[in-house]
Amino acid sequence: MQTQALQLKPQPVPLKPKRQETVVAAVDTSSMKIGETSTGILIAVRGATVWKQNKHYRYMRLGPFIFHTTEENKREVYNALQRAYFNSQREHNHQSLPNLMQMPTRIANLLERWLQTMLSKTIGNGLILFDGSLTAGTSDTPTQIMKEILNTARKKASTVLAFSKITNLRFNGHLITEIPPFHEPPYLLEIVSLKTRPPIVVLGDIYVARLTQGNYAFRLDIDKEVSPEQKIQAVEKLLGNDSLSQSYPETLRLAHILCTFTANEVIAMQHFTAHKYGLKMVNRPDMHRLLFGPFGRGEGNS
Amino acid sequence: MKLYKKEGNIVQILSFPNETVEKGDYLLIEDSDAGKALIAQVIDVQFASIPGILEELLRSLPDGGELIQGEDFDPLEIAPHITYIQDASLLICKIRATVENESLSPSSSWLPSRSQSTIKKLPIPKLLKLAKIDGQLPIVLGGTKDSSLLTIDALSLDGRLNIITGKKETGKSHLSKLLMLDLIGYKATVVVFDLNGEYLSLGTTSDGKRNAYNDKIHVLTPSQNFKISLKQLNLQVLLGILIHALHLPGTSAREFRRIWQSLKERDMLNMHELGEAIRNWHCNQHVRDALFSRYYALVNSGFFTDDTAETMLLEERLFKAKEQGGAIIINLRNTSSIDRQIVVEYALGKLVELLTSLRLKAIFLFAEEAHLYLRETYWDDIVTRMRHFGIFATFITNQPDTIRENIYRQADNIFLFNFTNEHDLEVVSRAARVDAETVKSIARDLPPHYCLALGKVVKDFPMVVKVKALDVKTMGETRLFFKNIN
Repeated sequence: MQTQALQLKPQPVPLKPKRQETVVAAVDTSSMKIGETSTGILIAVRGATVWKQNKHYRYMRLGPFIFHTTEENKREVYNALQRAYFNSQREHNHQSLPNLMQMPTRIANLLERWLQTMLSKTIGNGLILFDGSLTAGTSDTPTQIMKEILNTARKKASTVLAFSKITNLRFNGHLITEIPPFHEPPYLLEIVSLKTRPPIVVLGDIYVARLTQGNYAFRLDIDKEVSPEQKIQAVEKLLGNDSLSQSYPETLRLAHILCTFTANEVIAMQHFTAHKYGLKMVNRPDMHRLLFGPFGRGEGNS
Repeated sequence: MKLYKKEGNIVQILSFPNETVEKGDYLLIEDSDAGKALIAQVIDVQFASIPGILEELLRSLPDGGELIQGEDFDPLEIAPHITYIQDASLLICKIRATVENESLSPSSSWLPSRSQSTIKKLPIPKLLKLAKIDGQLPIVLGGTKDSSLLTIDALSLDGRLNIITGKKETGKSHLSKLLMLDLIGYKATVVVFDLNGEYLSLGTTSDGKRNAYNDKIHVLTPSQNFKISLKQLNLQVLLGILIHALHLPGTSAREFRRIWQSLKERDMLNMHELGEAIRNWHCNQHVRDALFSRYYALVNSGFFTDDTAETMLLEERLFKAKEQGGAIIINLRNTSSIDRQIVVEYALGKLVELLTSLRLKAIFLFAEEAHLYLRETYWDDIVTRMRHFGIFATFITNQPDTIRENIYRQADNIFLFNFTNEHDLEVVSRAARVDAETVKSIARDLPPHYCLALGKVVKDFPMVVKVKALDVKTMGETRLFFKNIN
């Protein structure tokens, strides 16, 4: 995505927590392949929205939703979900459809966009935290949908802040999140001159956010259309209204924790599909292990 | 239920929340292809080690320890399945026997199929039938957890060494009374060393009326209705009292033997003459002093008398009990430690004398807190030598460490009530007829009046039983200061 050398604004933006009462809401989803059948895979997705209001966290968790996707039904499943979530008339043909192994992420992304849309419509004068970036134009983040989400949030006087745990953006060869701190946190470092190739568009201004003491920093995307002052104020309100640990907001952490599948949930879902639908899981041998024994990396490590 | 693991004679079984299994229950692991089944007893119930459970628990408490509030929209209703998996338990079971063609063998050497075996609860009545725990002389101990009666055979107490133990107020004495009364019912002769006067009213119902055992209960209270004369004693019994109860040194014992022979030859065996003989005997002054001090101990016990009208012949009571069955209750309540030992030495000496001369067939001896009156050497004597003469002991104690390890090893039956103390359980678990895991795991959770029966009475199938109530006047209640305050 990065097409030229990044520039960092030389002066960091120091931040001061703003205690003005503001709702902080976050959304995250997770997906998992819970098993394989003779014809396809079983997918589970779940989403969670968490908001902090009056010093208390509340959540709404949706799912798990379980799908049995096969090469035969994946198009139907994906298109049906897209229609249902976004009223989209865009039909994917076989070429633009994800392959079977990408289906868990793609379905989870659909759910995530829908949850983001719902939050942007319901939260007023608040902060909406996304997991990831505000980059659009990819197959799972259509530009139009992301723009609509940001527009809606803006109309409700809310600001969208997107935190990426992992980034590939580098400055002078170093990952932007690993640039040594040269200012007392909390502060932001603005990144300029990031150009992308169409159809990829970046809908936010990008910062390196170092919000607490310690070595943790994250890429933070803030809605581009918001005024520079409002962007800074939004981060300051986040500092004043949410707990932050390791530079990461607690609301977003909770959203992630609540939607993640634990091993016993996976077992329970396998139990559910076997009992309710009689789906028989197949255990395919791990060829790496089979061929290379202890030198095989195993499926999980590949 | 699913068979998960087998290690030695322990099997681990995965059980789900809709299958209610508790400690002490028996399971039948049936492998129809092999035509065999294992009988296993649940000795512990643990949480199954479900992957991800820690994350699940941590997730529910992220808000500073306060439960995070929220809503779950779960259209497929997966949550009950998650709970179902989370609440799965692991049953740790001890293999007790193998059933093949309706007959039992103690083998656990074969492995049932993990995928094909069916596991179900084995109802106690069915187990009792399979193990043939009933017999010709039934004694109903009480009810098992599935409301069936546990009936043991009085024959399984005959010739056996039994231990009833458990912490205070769990029902040990109650069970010993039950066993005792049932044995009397089968015309057995029972002797009880009653330390706290708990057995004195066994012939009376709880409302004070005479019961069926009334004329079979003979209470002997030393120095009251239980006195003896020297003429009734043989020298060995008296020397036993002097040496073991009163610690008379060997040299003095030899002098005493001469004095005794001298009095016997002159037909002057009585307390008064014994005192005079010691006074006038030509011997070392220290020996005389030693003899005198023991003589006065005998006199002061009030247990010896020269008045023949006051004497009571223990053998007469025993012979009477021998005819119709009966219990001789030797009331040791309000008796000093020394006097208790004198009385017990006498009674045991007399019993051995009657049994060796075959004048008595056999007796069941019930001894409460025997360490308080039984000398060290008698323990081995009772469980080995005296057993051959026909003294079949039942020890009742709330301090299991007062009974020596070798006694536990030789015990045929153990009736174990609740113990929470690790040390106490450790002691009891040394018994040969039971495995330590069973004792430690089950006994710890027994409610009051529930007992774990182990040994021959249950054909080595440990069983938990709620001891049935008895309609007899209880005397073992502790006298309380705040009795009238609710």
